[in-house]
Amino acid sequence: MDEAARARLRDWLAQAAGDPALGITEMAILSGGAIQQNWALDVTLRGAPARLVLRTDAPAVLAVSHPRAAEFALLRAAEAAGVTVPRPLFLCEDPGVTGRPFFVMARAEGIAAAHRVVRDATLGGGREALAAALGRELARVHRIRPPRHDLRFLGEPPEDAARAMVAQLRARLDEGGVPRPAIEWGLRALERAAPPPVAPVLCHNDFRTGNVMVSARGVEAVLDWEFAGWGDPHQDLGWFCAKCWRFGNVAQEAGGIGPRQAFYAGYEAEAGTAVDRARMPWWELAATLRWAVIAADQAARHLSGQERSLELALTGHIVPELEWDAIAMAEGL
Amino acid sequence: MLERPDGADLLATAREVVLQEILPALPEPARIQARMVAAAIALALREREAEGEAALRAELAALTGAGEAQAQAAFAAAIRAGRFDPGTEGHGAALDLLRRMARLRAAVSAPRALSGG
Repeated sequence: MDEAARARLRDWLAQAAGDPALGITEMAILSGGAIQQNWALDVTLRGAPARLVLRTDAPAVLAVSHPRAAEFALLRAAEAAGVTVPRPLFLCEDPGVTGRPFFVMARAEGIAAAHRVVRDATLGGGREALAAALGRELARVHRIRPPRHDLRFLGEPPEDAARAMVAQLRARLDEGGVPRPAIEWGLRALERAAPPPVAPVLCHNDFRTGNVMVSARGVEAVLDWEFAGWGDPHQDLGWFCAKCWRFGNVAQEAGGIGPRQAFYAGYEAEAGTAVDRARMPWWELAATLRWAVIAADQAARHLSGQERSLELALTGHIVPELEWDAIAMAEGL
Repeated sequence: MLERPDGADLLATAREVVLQEILPALPEPARIQARMVAAAIALALREREAEGEAALRAELAALTGAGEAQAQAAFAAAIRAGRFDPGTEGHGAALDLLRRMARLRAAVSAPRALSGG
């Protein structure tokens, strides 16, 4: 961000925060996602230092992710539902300030990096306690139910979240244009065994190790809300527990962090409803296939020349492992 | 006809240099990049050594009745349409072939997946 943009940002923040003397003391890009850019933003606000994050779109934006205004509304809804999120502060939809819409939120402190989180058994009071705390967080997310005027950009809830997932993944495969028999095999197995619909809830849709910031104290922030939508609560539970999101620590079935039962117990205590165990293999296979489709799409961005990147190129090579797992999981449905 | 060491030897040697000499001298953010470079070289080497793709292509063409160029697409479409569902005549053969294709693909891209890790 150049000097002129930074000056415009300061002026805008000063007005939004109601402090004409607001100053930007430090601004540095954080290791960000492929979809968003996050900037660490240190300011003086009413004379005191404040540590913030500015979140904006990356140059290449996925069509399936929500724009910043929507993500800001999701963060507000989550905060009101008691989910531990970085406090959303200011939204700027005027691209004239920094070049792209952005919002500013409080900066949570902790560890998100998945490989570090799964290796450290002391985080959040230990594996059982952290898994249970994450279950409670997810239950709070699922308290958000349609209809919600503030979340109307999410559209109507699907009549049948399971069948909608199968249809969505097939559509993305067709768009990608690469025939993938193993993924089709898994999707067909899902189609045959689709569970009946349940009342829809807000699903985070990327609630997994790596997208939650944790510390010795516990959960510091649930991050990355850009894929949220209405669905079956088990789609989040399955995404979190699927083997492909355990980062090598496969024995700890809740995200490589802790035991599945502790995660379920935390969820159930907070939700007041039971996790339907019979639905979990279905949604864990769906998670595996969804990740395979996303990984294939990421490699396609590299292959198309749209965004040449070794990281995207290697992400594509996750697909065969997911296919291998999916074939075995389909047998068990 | 070509001079040795060959490409495989050079790639393997280059990978050792990346891991043993370059990586330890790098600051942490760049180490991730160096590890990705090493992973990419290892993968490219496994791809050179992978065997059996041609035979699997021929089997796939025979199973689907399509030409080799169209066989993947024909297989994918047939699976989606339910032609290889459990209880159909071709189910066992399709599953067996699918497993062997997946095994070959994973052996190149993620061999650790096959050892149950």
